[in-house]
Amino acid sequence: MSNRSPWFWLFLSPVVLSLLLVVVVPFVYGFLFSFTDWNGLVANSFVGFQNYVQLFQEAEFLNSIWFTVKFAVVTVLLLNAMGLGLGLALLVTRSIRSNNWLRTIFFMPNLIGGLILGFIWQFIFINVFSDIGNRIGSEALQGWLSTTSTGFWGLVILTAWQMAGYIMIIYIAYLENIPKELIEAAKIDGASSVQRFKNITFPLVAPAFTVSMFLTLSMGFKIYDQNLSLTNGGPFNSTQMVAMEIVRTAFSDNEMAYAQAKAVIFFLIVAVIALTQVFYNKKREVEM
Amino acid sequence: MKKKGAALASVLFAGVLAGCSFGAGSSSESSENATTIEIFQGKVEFNDQFEELAEKYEEENPDIDIKITSVGGGSDYAGSLKTKFASGDEPEIFSIAGPTESANYEEYLADLSDTELADLALEGTLNPVTKDGELHGLPFNQEGYGLIYNKDMFKEAGIDPSEILTYEDLENAVQTLDSQKDELGIEAVFAFPAKEKWVPGNHLSNVYLAPEFDHMVMEAYQAEDVQFERNKEYKRMIDLQNDYSIQPTLSLDYSQQVEQYFSLQEVAIIQQGNWVYPSVEQMDPDFAKEGMGILPIPVEGEEGKLPVGVPNYWAVNNNSDDETVQAAKDFLDWMYTSDVGKDYVLNEFNFIPAYEGYNTDEISDPLSKEIYQYASENQTTGWVFLGYPGTWGDYVGSNVQKYIDGEMTWDKLVKDSKQEWTKMDQ
Repeated sequence: MSNRSPWFWLFLSPVVLSLLLVVVVPFVYGFLFSFTDWNGLVANSFVGFQNYVQLFQEAEFLNSIWFTVKFAVVTVLLLNAMGLGLGLALLVTRSIRSNNWLRTIFFMPNLIGGLILGFIWQFIFINVFSDIGNRIGSEALQGWLSTTSTGFWGLVILTAWQMAGYIMIIYIAYLENIPKELIEAAKIDGASSVQRFKNITFPLVAPAFTVSMFLTLSMGFKIYDQNLSLTNGGPFNSTQMVAMEIVRTAFSDNEMAYAQAKAVIFFLIVAVIALTQVFYNKKREVEM
Repeated sequence: MKKKGAALASVLFAGVLAGCSFGAGSSSESSENATTIEIFQGKVEFNDQFEELAEKYEEENPDIDIKITSVGGGSDYAGSLKTKFASGDEPEIFSIAGPTESANYEEYLADLSDTELADLALEGTLNPVTKDGELHGLPFNQEGYGLIYNKDMFKEAGIDPSEILTYEDLENAVQTLDSQKDELGIEAVFAFPAKEKWVPGNHLSNVYLAPEFDHMVMEAYQAEDVQFERNKEYKRMIDLQNDYSIQPTLSLDYSQQVEQYFSLQEVAIIQQGNWVYPSVEQMDPDFAKEGMGILPIPVEGEEGKLPVGVPNYWAVNNNSDDETVQAAKDFLDWMYTSDVGKDYVLNEFNFIPAYEGYNTDEISDPLSKEIYQYASENQTTGWVFLGYPGTWGDYVGSNVQKYIDGEMTWDKLVKDSKQEWTKMDQ
């Protein structure tokens, strides 16, 4: 690196500096502050691990972690299934004229901001669902978002609707790259369509799995704006995810340092899960 | 070559940084040697009118430059103010809400007892921000809340609102309305937004806790525990509103309550305050002007009294030089005592004044007028919820949600909320 020309560093410097300033420095600061009693204005004393001990005893924080884990598991499975499903479906139906148009439509929800989406779906869940429920006399469509379980599924549906198109694009990119000769050769050898999918297509889209799993996992954990606008944690904070719990601790309860400690724990959880996942999925990938 | 590159890099980078700071600071046109007063406040609703008024002041006083920043309501504002102070970019004037926030910023608060407004402020409004003989804030305005009702519907159902005093009266009225739902064309009597924790948690609980604390914010603020003596009354009021409300209440929020159900006259009564006026006016101006009245929430022994309080106070930062502090005080005095200022406060800001010397016949919206009436006749109860410890109000609101959901019994709610008060007060 040392023999690179100054131009190398010149062009790199804006990125490196801004990364340092807005990511690395605040991160280190935040980590340090989590060991103090910082209230946003002044830090009076160093409290050691007190914040960390306290947070593992707080029912609300633990609840929010549990809720987030459930949410992440369900959305990861659902999103990858839907993404791959949509991708395959669009590939199979490539000859249909509306194919490209459909791709755009499936991708479109991803272009709407999370906050707006939350409010739109709030209207759908509360008003449209109950109207339909009234018409067809179904109790199950009444009172959405007013209970914990409907709040949970509301969030899942919203996220799936928003993100499935994005994941689909990733799968399509990999699916299209699978050499036709391989499929054809397998066909000639008499492999059934299930066998072809299991032994050729699936292993070859493994890199897409790695990427999509990483994206959906980290998104499932870090989701905030949809949560805020759709349920705002209600009823009684039971649909509150970790990110929202942390923001609330920091800005409503005014316990900045404590919230920071929660954020550090949250970071560790997400980092460990995401990296383990990448490690194992990488191993599964095959080279052609 | 190496040196040259590095120098170039630093020049470029400096340019980038400078570009940022120019971009941020260019919004005000200041004359030279001007004293700049930066105002940071959380009531976005009157931002435009407030800027207009500030411009008028700048015309009269060319050596003063006023910069106003308004940041959205609620927790948003508190967070931004904190960031401002933490970054050293401190405003000269900012708003604080009651004793809890005033305690947070205590070291920054200038003594305002030498202002004109300190003498003009209505009785009792200064208590929450007075400490050790120093006055730390001046009231923005007064606000009040209660049960806002639809006048026409009451008339059609044959109910005389002036006769509703006790809880029993209210219950009868509600049942009458409920029995005539179809004739009145309403879906339910109430729209009870249990999703908004502050509605049951802060506002409703306040009327039942105020007597316990002698209607004094400071009493509540200093209290180490809460007795919750009137929790049975609190319960039956929640039950009444919840049972006769649009269902499910747990997903009903403020905008549905005010804009969708009340403004469109699909419900007869909502528990809210004079701040709903602009929203209702946007939906239906005629209804806003003619159709709304406000009733007190009945509390035994306190019938006919409306909870009126000061939601926000102006505070002056003592961390600037004396001249600037004085200029800030002068501006506040001018805003509420000059003729131009008074006109703006009443007619443009639509404030219910918290100071003497206003011609209150000019208050334009009917809710504010009624509330001012209660205030001037001393028929008010306090806003002790501004003195709840920490986020206790939200906590109670969350418990009320659990109670409505059936997850928590009432006795458990009372016990748990009392414990939380003691815990948060530490």
